[in-house]
Amino acid sequence: MTFATTFIRRLSGIFYLALGLAGLGALLAIGLFFSALSDLPRVPEPLSRIIETPPTEIFAATGERIMVIGGREAIPLSRISPYFVQAVIATEDHRFWEHHGVDKVRTLKALWVTLFEPGKVQGASTITQQLAKNLFFTYRRTVMRKFRELLVALQIEAQYAKGDILEAYLNQISFGVGAQGIEQAAQSFFGKSAAALTLAESTLLAGLPKSPTRYNPYLHFDRAKKRQKIVLSRMVAVGYINPEDAQSAFKENLFLQPRSEGTRTGSYFLDVVLNEVEERYGPEVLYHGGLKVMTTLDPLLQSWAVESVQNGLAKLDEILGIRKYGVDSRDDAVTHPQGALVAVETNSGAVKAMVGGRDYSETEFNRAVQNNRLPGSGFKPFVYYTVFEKLDLSPATLVVDKKVNIPVVGTPDWRPKNFGGKYAGPMILKEALMKSVNSVAAQLVERIGPDAVIEVSRRCGIKSPLSSVYSVALGTSGVSPLEMASAFATFATGGIRHTPFWIRRVEDPLGRILEERIVGGKRSLDASVTYQVVDMMQGVLNNGTGSIVRRMGFDLPAAGKTGTSDGYHDAWFTGFTPTLCVSVWVGYDRGVGMRDANGKGITGARGAAPIWTDFMIKATNGEPAREFAIPSDIQFQSIDPVTGFAAKQWTPNPVRVALRQGQEVQGREETF
Amino acid sequence: MADWIDPQDIREWSRRLFALRPILLVLLVSAIFILELRIDWIERALGAYLVTTNVARPESGAIWEKGKQTLTARKTLEQIVTDRQASQRIARDATTFNQIAANVSPDQGVMLSDDHFRKLYLSLPREIAQEIISPFELVRLASEGKWRRTYFEKAGAGLMVYLLDLNNRVLQQLKITPSLLIHFEREQFAQVETLEDLPYFENRVYPADRFFDALEAFPEDVRRSMVPNPERLLRISGQIMRVGISDEAVSGFIEIGFEIINGSRRKVIIVQGHEWAVWRLRSHLEEQKSSADIISDTLEN
Repeated sequence: MTFATTFIRRLSGIFYLALGLAGLGALLAIGLFFSALSDLPRVPEPLSRIIETPPTEIFAATGERIMVIGGREAIPLSRISPYFVQAVIATEDHRFWEHHGVDKVRTLKALWVTLFEPGKVQGASTITQQLAKNLFFTYRRTVMRKFRELLVALQIEAQYAKGDILEAYLNQISFGVGAQGIEQAAQSFFGKSAAALTLAESTLLAGLPKSPTRYNPYLHFDRAKKRQKIVLSRMVAVGYINPEDAQSAFKENLFLQPRSEGTRTGSYFLDVVLNEVEERYGPEVLYHGGLKVMTTLDPLLQSWAVESVQNGLAKLDEILGIRKYGVDSRDDAVTHPQGALVAVETNSGAVKAMVGGRDYSETEFNRAVQNNRLPGSGFKPFVYYTVFEKLDLSPATLVVDKKVNIPVVGTPDWRPKNFGGKYAGPMILKEALMKSVNSVAAQLVERIGPDAVIEVSRRCGIKSPLSSVYSVALGTSGVSPLEMASAFATFATGGIRHTPFWIRRVEDPLGRILEERIVGGKRSLDASVTYQVVDMMQGVLNNGTGSIVRRMGFDLPAAGKTGTSDGYHDAWFTGFTPTLCVSVWVGYDRGVGMRDANGKGITGARGAAPIWTDFMIKATNGEPAREFAIPSDIQFQSIDPVTGFAAKQWTPNPVRVALRQGQEVQGREETF
Repeated sequence: MADWIDPQDIREWSRRLFALRPILLVLLVSAIFILELRIDWIERALGAYLVTTNVARPESGAIWEKGKQTLTARKTLEQIVTDRQASQRIARDATTFNQIAANVSPDQGVMLSDDHFRKLYLSLPREIAQEIISPFELVRLASEGKWRRTYFEKAGAGLMVYLLDLNNRVLQQLKITPSLLIHFEREQFAQVETLEDLPYFENRVYPADRFFDALEAFPEDVRRSMVPNPERLLRISGQIMRVGISDEAVSGFIEIGFEIINGSRRKVIIVQGHEWAVWRLRSHLEEQKSSADIISDTLEN
């Protein structure tokens, strides 16, 4: 046998093998086809069915729409900027007008790259395949899923005109920030319709669907610009534009529609609203029901709240001597303190603003609602109210600030210490609250018992579990800023309790009311006793531990209380005017104390009160000075804070106290 | 068929390779391949075939799931709205507080206009209406011009009533206790024919003349407390035959039933007397009865 014959024989062997393999491949393909066909999804007719879901819309108290969930604002192809259409085609599928669902050349190229260039995976999905995937399939990557997607794409191509396919695709792609479809995206990012998009805007938007989070221009503008450059170069390569146009479009300044941090998709407030709606109506209704949810949010207050918390925390970073937030974002949420703020309208309980953390994109944990942290001295107003109501004590009652040792059955004695470890001796109760004296609060709770204090706090709306121990007086059971704001609002209204709420009304897509909030309060505290506590809390701001509020320039009538937990883990300030009650908390998530570079701890007055003040100055700007309503049986008397006697003309630093009928101090007030 | 023989040399191979049949085969395969590249006939054919099978295929996948969820959502909403509208409609048609209480579900209240509340309120006897809210208080609220709507909510077996302004702020909160509702309900029992139909009267039924004799023993203001609205009895034609006094006191009132005969028809009218006054009347009637019994016993002996 000659060499040639041997060669030919081998060649023929290979040929037959290839033929056999091809036949086998064909058989497999046919088998695969029929197997895939068995549960291939039905393609809806018309294709515009994808736009039938009405969106659920969330509105602020001002009527402004702050969020849209689901739904589509579908528009015909003729109302989409041709620049955008070209940019998408050039980037995603430049042979779109030619192929019938599959771009074979691109597929072979992608196959080659994927198989023979290690570490590289190239996609070759056409616009029709992407549409098929988005409409029918999950994102699980399997050969069968890919094959089914291909078959559906072939059917879509056979069933619909190219224009219909492109229109459906452009109306359903996701651009991030809750924008689904080009019209929503154009409105969300540039505040204009899709028809009015310029080349620069179109190319920026066309780059987003590849990875809406990664290229989110609000968070990563530089990445979005790089992606825009790729889109522009693809348009040049395809021949839609010339390089000069691409260059000038790239250089063009883009003005993104400003987005309020607190009201953007996925803010802490919206999370709370969505959770409640979902809990009440179920996820189907929330995401597919087309509800209209009217909330209590005041967008202006919300943006100020976000600003105040972020500015306050930035200043706190400086005090703590830690690097600027956001420079190295990998562990910012752990290494930097967090903050929360809740603003409640006192006479209704409507939550007007809510900040649950420093940065929602960093951490979605809502510290305004879910975080139960120790309120420290912030809990003392409940103690004082309790002893005034139950023991008929008054702000003029004389007490002795001294070391106390309270025996507790079954455990070691409780020895609470004052902040700074000093004891001032005799003082009246008003002075004790203003200076937040722990030993006095401890003596009071020893006398009245922790259960009475807990009962009063429950009447004010504290719902978190509270331990029935003496130390509850010093805030050793965790509560949330929402609870604190809502509970202190009960003091602001003279004892009328309003349950906090954030949804005013819910309507179905046809505007029929599903529920509406009845705004009513319930008398929980005695008006006169409440006023006595409020008067003392005004003293906290004017001359007590919260006097930083006045030094920072907030001069409207207001009351409040600072709070600092043991080891400076939590710093609080909760305060109110007659109309607005705001609670601010700052602290580390992981339970680390906050100390400045000199080792000095961060108190409520240092960490939280500045944020409160900054917010309140903006929130009450232009408002007239409203005094707290004084019950008819309240009278004021000047008292010597050291002796408890009625003050004489020569008494140094007399303290004006609010007394109920029968509590007038004639000579010396009862010593406690 | 002749056995296939392996070609032995190149020439034989070439001869066989360039024969008509292989050339046609190659041309055919090439044509198929080129046509596919040029006109995508496989895609078209598959697509066309798939279109024909479309209707028989399942409605599965993300878009259909979404459609189903939308359908479920619509149904759920429709159900909520229907229920709400139904209870609203029943409440709008209600002529008594009891009808409202019977139809308000524990998890969903009903909203009515201020006028509707006034109508229900005015349909009650003055003494009972007073128990809900003083008419002067209502006049004050109405005159302020803020009261627009009234919200009814189930509170146990009773009702909570909220008088609201346009922004749903509560202007006044009222409670209609279960005992008050029972009171209202009994007021409706005026339809019954005899005192025996109402078990709570069975122990104390007196002839009318004896009852009125006893009533006369008290001064006018006390009598007004015993039978607060005698004008109501006057308005009814017929003769009062018997009077029953209830064993139960509800919300400070005791019911007195007057059995009236008009031709061949009988009916019972119920009024609410103040508990303290009716007690006095009852004691008086009982004393009278005891004396009468003693006299009759003595006479018999």
